[in-house]
Amino acid sequence: MSETTQTPTESQQNTTTTGEPETTAGETEEQVREEWRDYQFAGEAKLSVEDLDVYYGDDHALKGVSMDIPENSVTALIGPSGCGKSTFLRCLNRMNDRVKSARIDGSVELDGEEIYQEGVNLVELRKRVGMVFQSPNPFPKSIAENISYGPRKHGDIETGLLARLLGRSNEDERDELVERCLRDAALWDEVSDRLDDNALGLSGGQQQRLCIARCLSVDPEVILMDEPASALDPIATAKIEDLIDDLSEHYTVVIVTHNMQQAARISDQTAVFLTGGELVEYDDTEKIFEQPESQRVEEYISGKFG
Amino acid sequence: MAAETDTRNRNPLVRDDASGTGLVAAGAVGLSALLFVVSLAVLFQAVDLTDAVAGVPVVTLLGGGLVVLGAATVAFGVGSRLGFVETEPQASAGMLAGVVFAATWVVVAGLVASQTLGLGTAGWLVASLAVGGGVFALSVGTREDVGSTVPAGALAAMAGLVFLAGIIGPEWVWDLGFEQKASFTGGFTVPTVTLFCSLVAGWASAKAYGGFGARGRHTGAYTLVYLNAGSIVGVLFLLLAFTVFKGISGLVNGFAVGLGAGPESTIVLLGQSISWEWPFYLPFVMNGVGLTNDFNGVLPAIVGTVWLVVGAVLFAVPLGVGAAVFLTEYAERGRFTQAVEVATNGLWSTPSIVFGLFGFAFLIPRFGNGKSLLSGMLTLGFMLLPLVVITSREAMLSVPDEYRDASAALGVTKWQTIRSVVLPAALPGVVTGIILGVGRIAGETAPILLTMAGGVFVPGSQTPDVIGGFAFTSTPPFVENPVLLDAASALPYQLYALITAGVGASGNVANPDEFKWATALVLLVVVLSFYAIGIAARYYFRRELNQ
Repeated sequence: MSETTQTPTESQQNTTTTGEPETTAGETEEQVREEWRDYQFAGEAKLSVEDLDVYYGDDHALKGVSMDIPENSVTALIGPSGCGKSTFLRCLNRMNDRVKSARIDGSVELDGEEIYQEGVNLVELRKRVGMVFQSPNPFPKSIAENISYGPRKHGDIETGLLARLLGRSNEDERDELVERCLRDAALWDEVSDRLDDNALGLSGGQQQRLCIARCLSVDPEVILMDEPASALDPIATAKIEDLIDDLSEHYTVVIVTHNMQQAARISDQTAVFLTGGELVEYDDTEKIFEQPESQRVEEYISGKFG
Repeated sequence: MAAETDTRNRNPLVRDDASGTGLVAAGAVGLSALLFVVSLAVLFQAVDLTDAVAGVPVVTLLGGGLVVLGAATVAFGVGSRLGFVETEPQASAGMLAGVVFAATWVVVAGLVASQTLGLGTAGWLVASLAVGGGVFALSVGTREDVGSTVPAGALAAMAGLVFLAGIIGPEWVWDLGFEQKASFTGGFTVPTVTLFCSLVAGWASAKAYGGFGARGRHTGAYTLVYLNAGSIVGVLFLLLAFTVFKGISGLVNGFAVGLGAGPESTIVLLGQSISWEWPFYLPFVMNGVGLTNDFNGVLPAIVGTVWLVVGAVLFAVPLGVGAAVFLTEYAERGRFTQAVEVATNGLWSTPSIVFGLFGFAFLIPRFGNGKSLLSGMLTLGFMLLPLVVITSREAMLSVPDEYRDASAALGVTKWQTIRSVVLPAALPGVVTGIILGVGRIAGETAPILLTMAGGVFVPGSQTPDVIGGFAFTSTPPFVENPVLLDAASALPYQLYALITAGVGASGNVANPDEFKWATALVLLVVVLSFYAIGIAARYYFRRELNQ
């Protein structure tokens, strides 16, 4: 993998030329690019993406992306605006199905099971692959109701009048669930005395942690985060980052971010998407930030482009 | 042209507002507001021009007020120009003020030249254009403090002098000589002219109070807006007060309070009958019309109106909200939704008599060939339907997509998302639509006229008892309700029937005129209470969303 490694000085010399990847003897350009993207890790892949293409109408938004995402780790997706990283993220739980003009080719496997095939239960898929959005979007309901919303809709929690009449009400379980999710999202101490207040009264950072707690309520295995801290101030961002670190012990976290420092701080491996919707390089975070193999990635990371 | 002032010639940062000269301008603003109110009162005949206040006829008071107002305005403007008053005027009063003053003076000069001086067409045309041009030059060409006060003040003072001199008085009539008889009377002209002059002079003096310049223009606009808003509220209040004033005596006829004073009511529910006695007696809303009644009332029409609205809402709201859910959440946006949108908007502006005709021709033959409560409910339901669709659709479109995304990302299905997230968030908007619609249909006369009818004076025995009317039968459809298929009366129709019934048809009612106004008052109260219920519901749902 390290054959094509170049020192920064070497790549500097090529900066002004075409920007095309540089080849060494005996290898075609394709092979080289393939190797940059190829990331080896121990253990099974949680998510395995093969040749994923996404089109919005005539716009080819994502070009043949393949990558394996290891379990219980943080994977950062970085790249300039419009490079397709959010599109990629939204393919992992089929949220792109909701975009009418989107067409998706390729394969995504969750624990070896194809999610783009006939008969996939989207409810189950999205329970297993949860998502946190860019701007905090709690429902205009109470904090507790926000957390119990998912399980209640899936029938795991029943608190209505009918359930009470039938003796199936499990309010204790609901209270436990609310407390557990809020604790896991490091929000419990701040809101434990006002669980019945409207969630829209929380601060932006608290709302985002509430959204993470809500995502945890359906017991996911993978959590997709689409720039979860971009609308928050530095203190709230630091809290979210600590939280992501904790979450990665039990969950597979895939996070899109604009902020390269953030990616460097929190992720175990980083995938760099560049303009045109292609995955250029995917490797250990340390490697990407200290010794990227592609010249374009190196330029992007050092702030020369993007 | 107003921006030519020297910017380095700075005005003082703090201006002393409580100076005596400032008080003159403030007094002028107050006086114009007072004149505005009094002339409105005269216009709506709350006060008569010949009435005397403290021994002086109102017309003289108005004239004197205008003269004082005009003089104060002119004095302030000229005083400012001569440097007695400290202001920050701009170089010109501006185009808007110039055009307003010039147009006003063109009319004034034209009227004076043709009517008072008796000049021919050429004469008054030249005179009015000359005066208008002069005023335009004066207001645009001179500094703002003169340009914006003198034309306005002179106008007010001149109108005041005309009233004081008795040239236009209460008995004055100007016959226009049209083919149809049309004339301006003093009773109309005096308050209208006062109204206009007080507005113009008030605007000018408010500018003066603000010390002219940007700040003065702000005060001027502010005063105009407030006077305008105030007069709208005033007119609405006057309308309400008029109805209440006329109707209250008929409404409280025979009113009594005390245990056992009221009639006994019985409700039969699941075979259990609950009865109670009202602790008060308000015969106009508790009785029908009958030979043996001590006091007659409109109970059947009130109950009819309430059932009519309830029936229309029960019919239209589920259908309308369902259609809105389909259009916003399921249907792909395109030709079809656009067509539906155009159709609903068109239906909402369809005249109510057309709906009535539809009910008459389509519904009545299908429900026993007679006018019936059910036909009325459905006709009004059809009328309500488009507004419910339009407003529900707006409300659902304004629910942020983030909620739908968040719900979908939790694996919640589309229908569950609509039911538990989209609809609750859209509810205040939906309720607003229903309020607006109910406000319209509750007062509709034409559709009821054609589909439901009722009488002029309805006996208490014809009070529709819709709940009690349900009965089970042994053959399909196993339930019947003859009450729904009977003709019933509603307040708007009864009011219409009362007005058109003529003198001879008074029946058992001693004072038909009082009865009429009391009916109008009750209709007003019923419609307003539907509004109140709707607003309370909207408030409740909104608080649920963001407490």
